[in-house]
Amino acid sequence: MYKQKVSLLLISAVCAGMISATALAKDTFYYIGYGMIQVVDGDSDEIVADIPVDGWLRETDFSADRKFLFAVGKRHLIHKIDLAEKRVVSTIDVSGAGWDRFIYGFDLAPDGKSAFVNLLARTTSKGEAVVAAPMLAQIDLKDGRILRSIEVPWGSAMLVTVKNGNGIKNATTIYVIGKDIVKVDVSSEEMKVIGTYPMFEKKWNILPLWENTMENGGIFMVNYYTPEFMGLVSIDSDSGEIKDIPLDGAPVFAYSVMLSPDKKKVYAVMDELTVIDLETRSYEQSIPIPGGTNYAINVSSDGRKVYVSGGGSTTTVFDAESLKPIKVLQMETDGMDFRRLSN
Amino acid sequence: MKKKRPIQALNEKARAIQSLAEGEEQTVEALQEGPPTMPVGCTTIFDTGWETNPRPTYPVGNCQASAKDFHGCAGDCWWPAQVPDGLTNHEDFDKQCPNVARDWRVLKYD
Repeated sequence: MYKQKVSLLLISAVCAGMISATALAKDTFYYIGYGMIQVVDGDSDEIVADIPVDGWLRETDFSADRKFLFAVGKRHLIHKIDLAEKRVVSTIDVSGAGWDRFIYGFDLAPDGKSAFVNLLARTTSKGEAVVAAPMLAQIDLKDGRILRSIEVPWGSAMLVTVKNGNGIKNATTIYVIGKDIVKVDVSSEEMKVIGTYPMFEKKWNILPLWENTMENGGIFMVNYYTPEFMGLVSIDSDSGEIKDIPLDGAPVFAYSVMLSPDKKKVYAVMDELTVIDLETRSYEQSIPIPGGTNYAINVSSDGRKVYVSGGGSTTTVFDAESLKPIKVLQMETDGMDFRRLSN
Repeated sequence: MKKKRPIQALNEKARAIQSLAEGEEQTVEALQEGPPTMPVGCTTIFDTGWETNPRPTYPVGNCQASAKDFHGCAGDCWWPAQVPDGLTNHEDFDKQCPNVARDWRVLKYD
């Protein structure tokens, strides 16, 4: 009896702790705009700060300690933003030595001092354009110097860092997402391609521009289309497992998707906000977004609110249960993404 | 019987265009024909057909309103003939027009 009571007490304490931890999670959203990042408080859904940042912004990644946000501007500037001070503290340019370089895919390396980038490069020689083969490169975040690189296929646009590639502990592997998913082992001195997950031959068409691994609890997810249906493909950033989730029914159109915190639903966004049931692999509900098209979607850490943003300059907050709009935020600029940091 | 040409130049301007086209060699290649055929300075992302209209009824076409897609198309040079390309000629296009719905009147580019 005593043992039972103690067990019950322990379970209650753990549950209370979990509830308390959930309740205490503080969401802050970062609106990735043009020449500016705007900070949105997740409790009040008010814009609480503007951070001037040079250029039209694309890829972003949070540092492991969650103190910094890295944002790529104009596809060649990497800005380091101090989230406490709400300002850019350093900027590096990956172009140089006569080469224009463009970043299509950015992921901070586990060492925190370097980053993996998918680079396209061009220059001119004797009046002729010279285009280099695309490369996955590891660059030094102090000065943008390329530390090592390997050629990757054309059309790559997103990188996902996998902690234990091929099931091997700490065998860091970069998944380069383009027409196919190319797995590059970066755990030893020499980078090497260790496998390819085919998508092109399966007639998949994807637009992997919106990073969501952190918000999804370590799962990167993107939607794809075939001529017949829409599906979801996910990458587990811990194990590297790739899952294909084909969906039943006529496809909805979506730029990007985001998992609900309980991982039972997926929210998709474009002209409509769509709810997808992962268990039945079917579309649950789809409603038009009053403000029109959005690129990006996010979910509060408690799962109660859904945010659609980017594209134009509005961010709309929906009640996740009723799918009724709660609030529309008028942002200062148009935008590309809407990231969430929960502490 | 002599086979008719499907199109005939009838005036001076048409004949001038025809003479320009004579001997013209292939200038366009499919992007899948082997590297490096993907042009840098234009889109580098595999994304065929995303902008086609998926619906038989309202809303017809993607991106409502189209201004919402302007910056997304412009920066990465998805449609270089229609919007400024942010990779080569108009790297700072966003500074004059960061919010298209509000600032479109001041947008200037060649």
